[in-house]
Amino acid sequence: MSVIIILLIASISVAALFLAAFIWSVRNGQYKDEIAPAVRILFEDKPLEPPTKVEEAKLS
Amino acid sequence: MDKAISKAVTVQCYHCGEDCSKEIIQTQEKSFCCSGCKMVYEILQQNGLCDYYTISNNPGKNQKTKVREDKFSFLDDIKIAASLIQYQDEERTHVQFYLPQIHCSSCLWLLENLHKLAPAVISSKVDFERREVAIVFEHKNYSLRKVAEQLTAIGYEPYLSFNDMGKQLPKTDSSKIYKLGVAGFCFANIMLMSFPEYFGIDAKEKDLLVLFRYANLVLSVPVFFYSATEFYNSAWKSLKHKFLNIDAPIVLAVWVTFARSLYEVLSGTGGGYFDSMSGIVFFMLAGRVLQDKTYRQLSFERDYTSYFPIAVTRIQDNQTAAVVLPDIKLNDTLLIHNEELIPADGILTMGKAFIDYSFVTGESEPVAKEMGEIVYAGGKQIGSNIEILVIKEVAQSYLTRLWNKDETTIEKTNEHSFVHLLSRYFTWIVFGIAIAGATYWYFKDADRIWNVITAVLIIACPCALLLSNTFTNGNILRRLGRNNFYLRNAQVIEDIATADTIVFDKTGTLTTGRYNDIQYEGAPVTWQQKQQLYALASQSTHPLSKAIVEWTGETGSKKVNAFKEVPGYGIEGMVEGNFLLLGSKSFVTHQASKEENDSIVYFSIDEKLLGKFSFRNQYRKQIPDMLQFINKKYALAVLSGDNAGEEKYLRELLGFNTHLMFNQNPSDKLQVIKRLQTQGKKIIMIGDGLNDAGALQQANVGIAISENNNHFTPASDAILSAWQLPKLYQLIQLCKINKRVVMTAFVISVIYNLIGLFFAVQGVLTPLIAAILMPCSSLSILLVTYGLSNFFGTRLGLK
Amino acid sequence: MQVEKFYYDNQTVKNFAYATILWGVVGMLAGLLIAVQIYLPAANFGLPLTTFGRVRPVHTNAVIFAFVGNGIFMGVYYSLQRLCKARMFSDALSKIHFWVWQLIIVAAALTLLTGHTTGKEYAELEWPIDIAITLVWVVFGINMFGTILKRREQHLYVAIWFYIATWVTVAMLHIVNSFEIPVSFLKSYSWYAGVQDALVQWWYGHNAVAFFLTTPYLGIMYYFLPKAANRPVYSYRLSIIHFWALIFIYIWAGPHHLLYTALPDWAQSLGTVFSIMLIAPSWGGMLNGLFTLRGAWDKVREDPILKFMVVAITCYGMATFEGPMLSLKNVNAITHFTDWTIAHVHIGALGWNGFLTFAILYWIIPKIFNTQLYSKKLATTHFWVGTIGIVLYAVPMYWAGFTQAMMWKQFTEEGILKYQFLETVTHIVPMYVTRSLGGLIYLVGVFIMVYNLVKTIKSGQLAANEAAEAPALADVVETHGKQYWHKWIEKRPIQMLVISLVLVAIGGLLELVPTFLIKSNIPTIVSVKPYTPLELQGRDIYIKEGCYLCHSQMVRPFRDEVARYGEYSKAGEFVYDHPFQWGSKRTGPDLARIGGKYPDSWHYNHMLEPQSMSPGSIMPSYAWMLDDAIDTASTPAKIRAMKVLGVPYPDGYDQQANADLMKQANAISANLKLDKINTGANKEIIAMIAYLQRVGSDIKLQPASEKK
Repeated sequence: MSVIIILLIASISVAALFLAAFIWSVRNGQYKDEIAPAVRILFEDKPLEPPTKVEEAKLS
Repeated sequence: MDKAISKAVTVQCYHCGEDCSKEIIQTQEKSFCCSGCKMVYEILQQNGLCDYYTISNNPGKNQKTKVREDKFSFLDDIKIAASLIQYQDEERTHVQFYLPQIHCSSCLWLLENLHKLAPAVISSKVDFERREVAIVFEHKNYSLRKVAEQLTAIGYEPYLSFNDMGKQLPKTDSSKIYKLGVAGFCFANIMLMSFPEYFGIDAKEKDLLVLFRYANLVLSVPVFFYSATEFYNSAWKSLKHKFLNIDAPIVLAVWVTFARSLYEVLSGTGGGYFDSMSGIVFFMLAGRVLQDKTYRQLSFERDYTSYFPIAVTRIQDNQTAAVVLPDIKLNDTLLIHNEELIPADGILTMGKAFIDYSFVTGESEPVAKEMGEIVYAGGKQIGSNIEILVIKEVAQSYLTRLWNKDETTIEKTNEHSFVHLLSRYFTWIVFGIAIAGATYWYFKDADRIWNVITAVLIIACPCALLLSNTFTNGNILRRLGRNNFYLRNAQVIEDIATADTIVFDKTGTLTTGRYNDIQYEGAPVTWQQKQQLYALASQSTHPLSKAIVEWTGETGSKKVNAFKEVPGYGIEGMVEGNFLLLGSKSFVTHQASKEENDSIVYFSIDEKLLGKFSFRNQYRKQIPDMLQFINKKYALAVLSGDNAGEEKYLRELLGFNTHLMFNQNPSDKLQVIKRLQTQGKKIIMIGDGLNDAGALQQANVGIAISENNNHFTPASDAILSAWQLPKLYQLIQLCKINKRVVMTAFVISVIYNLIGLFFAVQGVLTPLIAAILMPCSSLSILLVTYGLSNFFGTRLGLK
Repeated sequence: MQVEKFYYDNQTVKNFAYATILWGVVGMLAGLLIAVQIYLPAANFGLPLTTFGRVRPVHTNAVIFAFVGNGIFMGVYYSLQRLCKARMFSDALSKIHFWVWQLIIVAAALTLLTGHTTGKEYAELEWPIDIAITLVWVVFGINMFGTILKRREQHLYVAIWFYIATWVTVAMLHIVNSFEIPVSFLKSYSWYAGVQDALVQWWYGHNAVAFFLTTPYLGIMYYFLPKAANRPVYSYRLSIIHFWALIFIYIWAGPHHLLYTALPDWAQSLGTVFSIMLIAPSWGGMLNGLFTLRGAWDKVREDPILKFMVVAITCYGMATFEGPMLSLKNVNAITHFTDWTIAHVHIGALGWNGFLTFAILYWIIPKIFNTQLYSKKLATTHFWVGTIGIVLYAVPMYWAGFTQAMMWKQFTEEGILKYQFLETVTHIVPMYVTRSLGGLIYLVGVFIMVYNLVKTIKSGQLAANEAAEAPALADVVETHGKQYWHKWIEKRPIQMLVISLVLVAIGGLLELVPTFLIKSNIPTIVSVKPYTPLELQGRDIYIKEGCYLCHSQMVRPFRDEVARYGEYSKAGEFVYDHPFQWGSKRTGPDLARIGGKYPDSWHYNHMLEPQSMSPGSIMPSYAWMLDDAIDTASTPAKIRAMKVLGVPYPDGYDQQANADLMKQANAISANLKLDKINTGANKEIIAMIAYLQRVGSDIKLQPASEKK
């Protein structure tokens, strides 16, 4: 079953990666405010005028 | 016409949603209660920010009280500004304001779109829980003052207090969270790699097994050396105090487990108990985190500086300039505006002082001061501007000293919690078992001794007790919080449970501190007279006058001539040719009278006495019932800074075995508490004002009453929302239940321990058994604590 | 500084939306076709490329990677831009991502139909396509992390975390599971063999479900559900806990697909335990979703979009509860290999993925074409039709699965099996019919949607670049007042990208590891020998025709299975199986012990016309095997590849392999002659017979002493 070693290495390194991400997110204060973010996504910025031909060209 | 509207169905202010049928201001089919609200609306409307009103209805806060134009002028002062700014570089300034008005998603939206109003603003982020907004702006052509004024203009006046100065942002300590994360990660993977150990593995894969064991060893290192430090620290602390707290035996168990596992793996004799160890640490940390969940939006640690303005206006050679409090020197002349706090003791040198000390002393009525009289710090001027000559610096002033006196109270430790005592017995018993087992095996098979001892210590560590304690506390705290009763920490639960005496402050706690309860006795008052009365009374800012205005329920604009206000006595004036007098008996009847009662106001028209208004502080809803009920269970006391006007009523309510004390100044209150404590009473003090601050700190549990959670409350162990006061008894009961739940959960977990011991003393404790027992006991504890505490909570009719 | 004006890229979103619809229809049509073939074998039109074994992988791949895949990208490209308040990192990458992904899908369809498959479920695609997928995935990654990098919103909404998790994990799974050694341009052998291959495959298979069908859709749910209901998610904290818990548990649930197989006990129990633990986070997510709508049920009543979402989330709840149940050994003993599994996965596919995708389509299309949905009424109709479809699909399948399992296990008093395998099949044919009906109805619903959306699109006009504005992300002043932090924080996404790439690299390095795996393939049962060249060719035909999709090769240690098929399978028997062919479903009987059970002629006739040998059989005819010649040209390469993988062929054997092949072939064709069957020795049927006669027979040659 030595294949399990591969799976272990792979899985644990991913898990470790996410542990790092977790610690980062806490330290970064991502979860300081647990109310605002959920509300924030609901705000629809009201439609602005579409891009001009020039900008359009610049984009594509 | 006025009449017609006042009779009309209630109209809501489009901005703040208040009933504005009294007087309606209208623009574009929108009605507003006051020009303030209307102004905000117009600003938003001009800047296309009207979504503010669609995201949630009437999101604004009432704007009736106008803010002085130059109120924030002091922010132009470099020194002051510097003390508020968090970070500044060449072009940008970072600043954070506390906006108590934040309450809904509209607020969030508007404040984060601040840049649409002020282009210089680069970003504004709201921390909803803290009701703070972090603003980054370019200071090239914008200033701190402008920001503050912009916020004020849209109805979010920043609250700036003396203690904001140079305040570092609170350092959020998330180390526990990290530890939890690490423990969780390691635990999951260790468990994973322990499976071959549990279920056996083919002989030809032994090498794999060894690999797993070492992997587990590696993974358990961070748990042992990092995550578990939480417990090492607290154990060490308590040991330094010559005290064996619950963490001590746990640390021992963790160490023994680790050591033995280490030995087993290295010697190749077994897999060890790394999974159990990391699991325990993980669960216990989870419990701690849950229990330590603090209410970030509240502060239990306020000192007088949070009540003081950051700066006041000083008059120097006819120039007014803002000055920070510490810089106020003796003999400075300060200009105090309406509704402004007096920062330092001084002599009134100009203007009519009308000072509301309710916050400091608890007296609900403003005191009139003539020129030359001393005014004390902490009072709030009502009415016109006044000037005072400083005779004591802020640090020496009455309020400050009052406060500093309280600083000398012993801070409470949680070392005496029953949990720790319990854990001690538990520990000794465990040692007993270990020794017994050891001696038995000594004669039977000496090689087994260590195996047995370690096994016993591993299986029987009081972690179950700690778990049940932390989880129960956590859940109870949450439950109380849901009922707007916020405790400073878990220990308070136990202190409340053990208290036997409850001391109430009166004004602002039992009563609303407002005069809404008016009786009028005397000749009937015609509508005409009412209007006149209204006209006269509305000239004065005195709370009693305001109350009378309310009472008349009138509106209108009758002209008042020859208006005169005699501070401390009453007011007079000509309305439609009638001469009205309103005030104390002597003032109205022109004859000195013995019994002057501050809470009775006489009223005469053309020198003909019509009648008198008697005022009573209005008691909060259901408070009387609550008092009567709780009176049966606890020794009660009521301390009031007010006059004895209420005594009769309270006696009827509470009977004679209750202490009722009036005209109590802050230090009196403190003394009362001390005296009671010397009689061996455990006291819950419930108060609201700064005048209770000393008592609140001295009491075993100080509960501060607050009208709304982000309003300022004196330092205390707990904050209770005013409207929940009637629930006090139930809330206390919930705290009492805490202990019972912990014990129940503990007893259950002991059963698991016994099972474990059964194997342990025989020296046949396999990792599998340990690994099964550990999560089982942990989980059942979780369920029991959660279930029971919620069950009782619901049974007490709490949210 | 001015607020920055920028444009959301709706073009890409639109493309992915169209692709989602197109492939959805294709995938479901394929599904319908094979559903019919199950009770009407003739529905394969007698053509190889329309036969069940070839179309079924097309169905699964089309639905998972084309329909859901494009659905994911649609949702991510739409929500990520708005959550980050930024246009996608690079339009070029967006285009590449879109077009190459579609190309891959087309390539996949073609190769699968022409029988080029690795023979590993849900990972059937051959190595060139695997590489292409890896590349596109990297492109997607750069595009996503790039966007996160240049975001204008400091907080990473929980949805974004789900997207990140999806990307990282799928990358790893795909790489680890796709180790294979190329034989030719479109042929490769899995690097792992037998048990090991099985473990990797289902570790992958399960997590494909977890991280391709679940996490991204949860992220999408956390964005679109609040948007559609216009109310914040019930508990944001719960959503955060939900995410982290899910991440740390999911990865290990894989082995529950192999309960009672030759997989070691501890690995099986591991799968079970972790699967059970999964209930908690999964239900946390479901409840969080449903509670978001509490107090808004009136909205749900008139809004078809919310209706779809509610059912989707409910199905998610059902599936995530059922999953762990199925991973309990005693439950699994009954349900495994039956149609129960089919029902289970379709609750997830039709309900959770399908309905959520529809909801999002209904929501996004009007938005980006700034118009209104053409007809709410039609959408509601679609909802009801779809729901009926799901019910009509799932119920009969559960029923079928259960009944069949029961029949399999029944013995008479005399202690002999009560039912022939065929009886258990014919018995449930009616359920198969109903199932296909349910599928049809569901598909009708989809067509209603297509009509509705086309009308909507006609009525509107695409805002290819939707203008928006937001202030740039100001430096975060760290709470500890330390300045250097915020630089670091801003760099953080880069670091995450780097780490992820490092991770992919680790995956690459692991490519070396398998070499040492080979030593663990040393036969543990002496009598188990490598396949002869002819058998090897036969096995490849077995794989090509997708026999493993209906026939398992794994006798589990149960009384009935041993009685029905023979001695239960041992791990040691599969050491030369690259890839393993255990299968996951028994539409036909298990073949683990088919070797030597019937004469060659029986197989010949059975392949030509199954019903002639076993009347009422629902197996299609494989007549073309009688005409197509064995591709002997490939034999040497195949032998060499196998040697690389550690199969002990003598050195230089690849050169004489074909000679041996012909020798054995002639023997078989001679043997067939005895039964008056004339066929060329070079025909595929010969190889097929050779292989079938070999399967599971080695163990019988085992000297009694070694038997345990």
